[in-house]
Amino acid sequence: MTEKSKLASAGDSSAVLKARAALLARESEQSAFKSAGFDTVVFALGGETYAFASEFVREVYPLKDYTVIPGLPAFILGIVNVRGQIVSVVDLRKFFGLPEKGLGELNKVIILRNNRMEFGIMADWILGSRRIYDEELQSSLLTINGLRADFLKGVTSDSLIVLDADRILNDPGMLIHQESAARPD
Amino acid sequence: MDQRDADFNRRMLQTFRIEAEEHVRLFTAGLLELEKSSAGTDAGLIEKLFREVHSLKGAARSVNLRDIEALCQPAETIFSHLKSGRCRIEKELCSLLHATMDFVADQIVDLAAGRTAEARKRQKELIRQLKEAAEKLVQEQEANSSAPENSATGEPHSAVNQQPGDTELPEEPEINQDLQSPIDTYRVFTGQTVRIPVEKLDPLLFQAEEMVQMKVSLQQRLLEIREVRKLVEECRVNCLTQRSGSLKAEEMREIAEKLEMRLDDLSRRITAVSQTSDQDLRSMRRMVDEHLETMKSVLMLPATSLTEAFPKLIRDLCLYQGKDAEIHISGAEIEIDKRILEELKDPLVHLLRNCVDHGIEKPDCRKLNKKAEKGKICLELTTNESRQFVIALSDDGCGIDAAALIGKALKKGLISQGEAEKLDRESALALIFKSGLSTSPIITDISGRGLGLAIVQEKVEKLGGTIKVESRKDSGTTFRITLPMSLATFRGVLIEVNEAMFVIPTSYVEKTVRIKQNAIKTVEGRETVMLDGNVMSLTHLDQILDVRSATRERLLLKKTDSRQVFANLVILAAAGSRLALRVDRVVDELQVLVKTLGRQLSRVRNIAGATILGNGRLVPVIHVPDLVISAAMVQTRQKSGEMETAVDGRRILVAEDSITSRTLLKTILENAGFVVTTAVDGADAFSQARTGEFDLLVSDVDMPRMSGFELTARVRADKKLCEMPVVLVTALESREDRERGIDAGADAYIVKSSFDQSNLIEVINKLI
Repeated sequence: MTEKSKLASAGDSSAVLKARAALLARESEQSAFKSAGFDTVVFALGGETYAFASEFVREVYPLKDYTVIPGLPAFILGIVNVRGQIVSVVDLRKFFGLPEKGLGELNKVIILRNNRMEFGIMADWILGSRRIYDEELQSSLLTINGLRADFLKGVTSDSLIVLDADRILNDPGMLIHQESAARPD
Repeated sequence: MDQRDADFNRRMLQTFRIEAEEHVRLFTAGLLELEKSSAGTDAGLIEKLFREVHSLKGAARSVNLRDIEALCQPAETIFSHLKSGRCRIEKELCSLLHATMDFVADQIVDLAAGRTAEARKRQKELIRQLKEAAEKLVQEQEANSSAPENSATGEPHSAVNQQPGDTELPEEPEINQDLQSPIDTYRVFTGQTVRIPVEKLDPLLFQAEEMVQMKVSLQQRLLEIREVRKLVEECRVNCLTQRSGSLKAEEMREIAEKLEMRLDDLSRRITAVSQTSDQDLRSMRRMVDEHLETMKSVLMLPATSLTEAFPKLIRDLCLYQGKDAEIHISGAEIEIDKRILEELKDPLVHLLRNCVDHGIEKPDCRKLNKKAEKGKICLELTTNESRQFVIALSDDGCGIDAAALIGKALKKGLISQGEAEKLDRESALALIFKSGLSTSPIITDISGRGLGLAIVQEKVEKLGGTIKVESRKDSGTTFRITLPMSLATFRGVLIEVNEAMFVIPTSYVEKTVRIKQNAIKTVEGRETVMLDGNVMSLTHLDQILDVRSATRERLLLKKTDSRQVFANLVILAAAGSRLALRVDRVVDELQVLVKTLGRQLSRVRNIAGATILGNGRLVPVIHVPDLVISAAMVQTRQKSGEMETAVDGRRILVAEDSITSRTLLKTILENAGFVVTTAVDGADAFSQARTGEFDLLVSDVDMPRMSGFELTARVRADKKLCEMPVVLVTALESREDRERGIDAGADAYIVKSSFDQSNLIEVINKLI
């Protein structure tokens, strides 16, 4: 998006660049950890920084246009066309019931999948990838913004919220199966 | 190395599985035929079966599957005896051979998994029985002819003279065990591979090769265009350098002449490139279309790939239930889209189970009713004139008791007493598709749980088809399924409602009409219209679907104009009821390919899927049977007086290039009661503002073509628009930017990071 590059010259994007720089800077320090760790995709959404384990990320796709499907719960934004395949897109803030402060950019979709489920997650920006080591994750800070604890893998000291992609994918609330309307009496 | 060996093994086993499936399939079909032929001595068939077993044995040996080989060995012996003639194949032997093949089929499903102790035991038992059967044949032969014949493959056995009953009886219960789930064995025949005749593949390769030519040609075009660009660049540089010096008139003319020549040259080249590109496009179009057609035809498979396993299925079901029936299949050579065939498998198997379970009576009962002891099931495939195919599945069994069906539905509370009295025969029979209804008094493990037919109907409708049932008590039942031949040949009517587009499958559309607004009469709070002499009540699609918030891209048409004079109606017909649907616009009728909505959206009420338009845009496809039910609900709701509230008349123009922000802004403003129009950038907003009537402009700052600052300045400078309040919503939060916004003439400046709904509405309410 050209809009993106223009933004880069403006004040707001410096935050993104800073975040990216911080990410890169951390990476070398972390190798001191003992555990093997896992790769993540780091993204910004509604002023917070989140990460998903890369193994559940199929791809990142630009959100240019989407189609609303009437009658769906509010946390489903709609559907997008990913090279001929239809993928539904979830607004995590709505799904988590987080307050929607600010009007984000929301121009990326992170497509998550496991063997049973697949959908996209809206993101403001992709900040990059980062290896997370188990030792980094603190589980004590679980009440961030009222986020349900079981969707979290943990939070790092630099307040990166690592989400449990598998749990989110498998959450029964994510599957939409509506029968025909009941006949009126 | 180990890894590679393992890979190789895996591939070999995979190949074997495909081959073995084929042998088992052909063997089973052949054996059924042999069973049917009265004499059971058809030499050609026996030869064919012999070869199948022999090949299966060879294939098993080549991948070192000794277990399967050991099973094939005695079976082969049996056929070599049969081949030498003079003895006929008995029903018991057929059962044994079927059981053997079922066992093999089970084993090859998962070759990697180890053999269970149970399977080992069963295998031993089968081999023992096969050997005994072979022995028996030899004895029969000896008895029949004075010239004894010693088979080369048959192992000599102690010739204990057994009674036929002794050999076969203990086996009976075991066969039944296998048959407990005849459906499981069915799975084997639907592997992930398809057979495609070479003559269908050749053109594909040819077409692919043709495309190489196209690639080369495109490269050439690109070169030519680059050449032209270079020339243009040269001209420009030339002009620039000439301009710098002061020139005399003479020199000027010279340059002008040179330039003119160059221009001529350029124009010639461009014309040439454009002409050849034109040709390229034409041949490309033909190529792609042809390719698509061929690809589609490759995906068309004869229906036999689906139906060939049915005779065996019926046989097994009958055996298990102590019934006797035969299936007659006709028209199975029709070619049908592979995806449809796959989806049809479960519903058809289900209907066949119903046929045997509920339809066909036990032989003694049939005798009492003066019917042939052997039941008859017919599966007929035909095509009709509108490129659809029809599957008629009929049995000559006991039929459906409509009265019992109504009674059951009443008891379950699926219909009311009043409704029951009004039901005609056809609608009464249609009750059978409701879940929770099964007329079979007992629940067997095959059917009778009353869920099945509802699922069958759902599957058929998902494919864009319809299912109907006809039945006469005591003389039989016929299910008639009508389906499109190919998924790609769905036609759909593209409609627009509140700026959202939808596709309605044409098969459900009776017609589309445009009527004068004043032809709509309000009766008891409901809008009705006279059509073909009938009064129909009108339903608004946006009310059923609740698309008020489901806004999309900027509207192409101002809806207010057309709404007042004419109303566009789409008349739908589904499941015996009609529905007049009011839409904003009927855009087009087109060919659509319905896709599923992805794994997350397994079923969405009123929506069958989505299709991708030529421009890449996704459009939801309406699930008409659902819609009819939902519409009935909306109508009752309307009757009880719940009407839409009138909207506030104030109009707002929103300029924002990000689709999400645009939609969010629009939703927030609409929910606050404003009438919202959107624009995708500053230039678009300006032209819309000039032509339309708006009370206020909400604009993003950072947009392509024309920024929010520029847009504000233009608005302020325009005679017509200068009074319109402007609210800037932006990611830029520095003081300079804010000042720049105010300088340009904005009335309010809202920073995105601190944005929330209420402050936007508050600001707007202050301004207008």
